[in-house]
Amino acid sequence: MATANLDVFQVIADPSRRQILHLLTKDRYNINKLAENFEMSRPAVSKHVKVLQKAGFISIQEIGRERYCVLSPEGFNEISNWLDHFDNFWNNKLKKLETILNNKK
Amino acid sequence: MKTEIKHRWVYQQSPEEVWKYLTLSELIALWLMPNNFEAIVGHEFEFRTDPIPSLELNGIFYCKVIEIVPFKKLTYSWKGGSRHEITTLDTIVEWTLEEHENGTILNLKHSGFNTENYSILTGMTDGWLKNIQKMLHHLKENNNGNS
Repeated sequence: MATANLDVFQVIADPSRRQILHLLTKDRYNINKLAENFEMSRPAVSKHVKVLQKAGFISIQEIGRERYCVLSPEGFNEISNWLDHFDNFWNNKLKKLETILNNKK
Repeated sequence: MKTEIKHRWVYQQSPEEVWKYLTLSELIALWLMPNNFEAIVGHEFEFRTDPIPSLELNGIFYCKVIEIVPFKKLTYSWKGGSRHEITTLDTIVEWTLEEHENGTILNLKHSGFNTENYSILTGMTDGWLKNIQKMLHHLKENNNGNS
């Protein structure tokens, strides 16, 4: 679940986290396999994974005995929510401006 | 994935008239939001509205006038976040006015929705959708195998 106190943009501002997301677009990874792609330690990778999970970008799936990281849509949705919000926002405001201008005459 | 919003609106009034509604604080407030705008380059001002917790916005937009070309163009920065010291939304609002028959074409461009982050995400959308589908497929197969 995405938590309210984590800002999605801050979360993906980190290059390592973006790299993790990139890797996950191609395949699912467990922490060990993920860590092979980085110079940092396994616990450090694990920490990034936790942040991404908390922000809703990835989820952990248990398949057999393995725990895999997979992408999750939640974190991504939040970004398009912003655009949608302002798109509607401006549309409403510009309409209102029209009403006001026309009523003024 | 988009990184900017564009709107084009035609008004029956002249650019001079529409311009007033973009640049006079009390007139802006009539259709947009309460504000302390002044048409001076470099002037810092705020728009105030209700907080939008789901978008982590506290309802105050911190803005600064960037460019003014009377009756033609107005640009300001548009920042927001969950608290003043945390800017998560760092965008630019650009208005351009064109004379059109006896009225005005007003163009709005609201840009800068974290292009840096966006470029990373572009092309990822398809990837993760496919991935999720693959995952679901995989899980289904697994479940079938177990039962």
